[in-house]
Amino acid sequence: MSPFQYTDFPELANVDTHTAHHGNRLEDLRLVTGTGKYTADWNLPGQLYACFVRSDRAHAEIVSVDVSGARQHPGVARVYTGEDALRAGYDKFFVIVNWPGRGGEHMKKPARPSLAVGKVRHVGDAVAMVIADSPVAAQDAAELVTVEYRDLPAVVTVEEAMAEGAPQLHDDAPGNLSFDFEGGSEDAVKAALANAAHVTRARLEITRVAPSPLELRASNVEYDAQADVYHVYTCIQGINMLRKQLSFATDVPEEKIIVHAQDVGGSFGQRSAAYPEHCMQMLAARELGKPVKWVSTRAEGFMTDTHGRANTVTGELALDRDGKFLGLRIDWLADMGAYLSATGSASHTRNPNACMTGVYRIPALYGRFRLIFTNTVPVAAYRGAGRPDIAYVIERLVSQAAAELKLDPAELRRRNFLPPEAFPYKTPTGSTYENADMPAILEKALGLADWKGFPKRRAQSEKQGKLRGIGIATVIENTGAGLFPKDQVAIECGADGTVTAYTVAHSSGQGHETTFAMVIAGALGIPIEKVRVREGIHDKGLIGNHTGGSRSLVGAGSVCKLAAQKLIEQGRSRAAEELDVEPSQVEYSHGAFHTRGSKKHVRLADLAKNGPFATMTEASVGSTFPNGCHIAEVEIDPETGTTRIAAYNTVDDAGNVINHSVVEGQVHGAVMQGAGQIFCEKVVYDQDTGQLMTGSFMDYCMPRAGMLPDIHIVDHPLPSGNNALGAKGVGEAGCTASLPALANAMMDALRPLGIQHLDMPFTPATVWGAIRAARKN
Amino acid sequence: MAKVEIKVNGVKQSRNVEDRTLLANFLRDELGLTGTHIGCDTSQCGCCTVHVNGRAVKSCSVLAVQVNGADVLTIEGLAKGSKLHPVQQAFSECHGLQCGFCTPGMIMATVGMLKDTPNPSEEEIIHGLEGNLCRCTGYINIVKAVKQSAKMLRGKKPAKAAKKAAPKKKAKAAKKAKKSKKAKKAAKK
Ligand code: FES
Ligand code: FES
Repeated sequence: MSPFQYTDFPELANVDTHTAHHGNRLEDLRLVTGTGKYTADWNLPGQLYACFVRSDRAHAEIVSVDVSGARQHPGVARVYTGEDALRAGYDKFFVIVNWPGRGGEHMKKPARPSLAVGKVRHVGDAVAMVIADSPVAAQDAAELVTVEYRDLPAVVTVEEAMAEGAPQLHDDAPGNLSFDFEGGSEDAVKAALANAAHVTRARLEITRVAPSPLELRASNVEYDAQADVYHVYTCIQGINMLRKQLSFATDVPEEKIIVHAQDVGGSFGQRSAAYPEHCMQMLAARELGKPVKWVSTRAEGFMTDTHGRANTVTGELALDRDGKFLGLRIDWLADMGAYLSATGSASHTRNPNACMTGVYRIPALYGRFRLIFTNTVPVAAYRGAGRPDIAYVIERLVSQAAAELKLDPAELRRRNFLPPEAFPYKTPTGSTYENADMPAILEKALGLADWKGFPKRRAQSEKQGKLRGIGIATVIENTGAGLFPKDQVAIECGADGTVTAYTVAHSSGQGHETTFAMVIAGALGIPIEKVRVREGIHDKGLIGNHTGGSRSLVGAGSVCKLAAQKLIEQGRSRAAEELDVEPSQVEYSHGAFHTRGSKKHVRLADLAKNGPFATMTEASVGSTFPNGCHIAEVEIDPETGTTRIAAYNTVDDAGNVINHSVVEGQVHGAVMQGAGQIFCEKVVYDQDTGQLMTGSFMDYCMPRAGMLPDIHIVDHPLPSGNNALGAKGVGEAGCTASLPALANAMMDALRPLGIQHLDMPFTPATVWGAIRAARKN
Repeated sequence: MAKVEIKVNGVKQSRNVEDRTLLANFLRDELGLTGTHIGCDTSQCGCCTVHVNGRAVKSCSVLAVQVNGADVLTIEGLAKGSKLHPVQQAFSECHGLQCGFCTPGMIMATVGMLKDTPNPSEEEIIHGLEGNLCRCTGYINIVKAVKQSAKMLRGKKPAKAAKKAAPKKKAKAAKKAKKSKKAKKAAKK
């Protein structure tokens, strides 16, 4: 906790008047004063330091690992290799998918020792771990470890990996195929395609990107021998999700693993996974009897932190004469990297399947999803986890179809939207969309973006020698139902009247401490400064989901409201005793119970005079379906291929909004991650050697200030009946809509030159090359 | 090993460290000032920005021994007693931070930028933030926060802040202003 108090800083002490519209989050004070606590800031007495020796090649047999030099280095406590991982039985990782695929076949889940055994499968695969008494001693000693390899040919793309005679990564996954999954009806789509007046086809790359939260991955593990308990301090999205995975990987019972975290510097799905480093630190901490700390470098981050997206998708959209959609076929190749992560496989099968119909009535749907191993970093969930990918495919197909049929892309969407009266709508792939009003959302967005004025703006750009384009995306997504069946929140009132709520969902920038506190303060009618939200607290034994899939407000947030209400109800009967009346005669308002016509009252705080007045509550919330329309406008300089985002407009239905500044911030950040992927971000591997070419922020293009102009944001809330707040979630919507909106705008600008297809990222070089080639023709 | 003597946030510090110790590590590991963050190994992210003799510097790209004798200001030393620096205040008010990991560096870079360019244009702000990465905010509210802090530093209180200032606090602020004048005079002597 921050040593500073709000009362020390009058500027931020206006929390009692916290409104939905200005910043000043409760967590800000410690973060702007440098007193937040991220994982690398935890130091434990007597701690040792780990440094990992990593493979410098993509695919090779390990002939020998010589650790003798490292062992003798001053300060070194121990050197671990793959044999130690096997000895401990650490050779498996948790994978969410537990359902069968096509033809009832089960997923192939090859072993993954926490340190490589026999073979390395991607650049960065950990081969040895050196433990020493200082970070530099560990690093120096790691450099003394010599590994002899026998190189094997590497594959870094799904096409290569699926080709006949391709190098095989795992003996038990022939053809490098982990899973073959399908959704919808193959025959129905075949018929729709055969009967179509027009079929629009595209093969789309959804590039492999590096989530790159700015806090470097880190962990500090302590083993308490007396209690036989591991304390794991690390960057997380929620304590339970990590604990479950670590328990699976190490066979240590869940209750013997205690995960701690305070501030987390961004997550975006990358922190949802347990990593081999966690496991090896657990082993070393137990065997050496001292805490073991490890902080990644950014270079290690690029070659070991899970990557995102990495899908190659072919889509075919069948339309009738009037532009009505008849069917959609999706052939989805997901690059899983060298090993399965916990989330990647579900992200790239279940999630796109759930939203395959988009916001449209499409009578026939069929998707085939194949998960392929390549000699690259494992792929996991990344902000949206497959939902931006499927939205990208559908929305590019729809805009391309409009162009091919010479229809207004807004009009083609109008003709095919699910009408508001169709909800709840059971999709052909098994989702039940709760509600959405796409026609109204589209009209609102068209107005916001001045759709009608676009030809004029295009003409103005043309006068200056520039190409201008406008792109629409109308999207829907399923928020995460979560790995755990329910979300629990504990709440207590102290004798000083402070109400504290405990959740296991963990913020990594989403501002739970403020938004959840607003929910509780509102429900209890007390000033927000009297409310504290504590996350990552293990000793309450709460069941609940991690933050991910845009689900925290929907899940933990809505349960905060229920918990506050339950506190009132339990307080009512106790207050009735004290007031000596029937509970039905007791009224509650603003932190106190009273009876009508009597001046006597009992404050919440009074109920806590003999110890905290506490309760716990829970709910199962399942998925919600946030939806919306984004319209982007771009201007390209054909001489250089550089693009300026000229305008960006969003109309989102995130359900009821609690904190507008936080919601806007989520939209800003997610749209920027979409823009980053569309315009510059891409993880590149050398085709021949499998070397990682984008191993630092010098080579991997991160979006910087100014890439995105201010966004025009308008809400269109249709409350959800799924949870007590009527919220739908917003964390990922910006990614889902921005990928297609921006790409459609680019294609709209380039199509008049005869450019029919271009994949992301639309870098200046790519765009310039395409324009040059088109002009030559 | 090398002896390093630096004044950090107004306090003299002296340590014997390995020659290769970076200023960022010196601040974090030797002094426990963990508000200075490390986000990369290639001087790209700016999370580690501090001030050395009044100039914004990426502390991961200087050795501790290089700044021997210097005056270093870190995020922990920016607030004056119970008063946040206007840039800290503006970042919070404009929701210019989410996870907060880039924030200390962003704030120190902004303070540095506004020293040179007290009234920056949008382009100057974007240029000034080029050395700082943020993965959460899309920079939109960071740019707003820089604009607002520039206004505050030039003496134009934003309407919201002005309204909040209760008479008591004004009196306190006036006292403090006097004190700081005295302090300045003393410093001159
Ligand atoms: S840590 Fe200094 S610039 Fe990244
Ligand atoms: S607020 Fe998270 S990196 Fe900037």
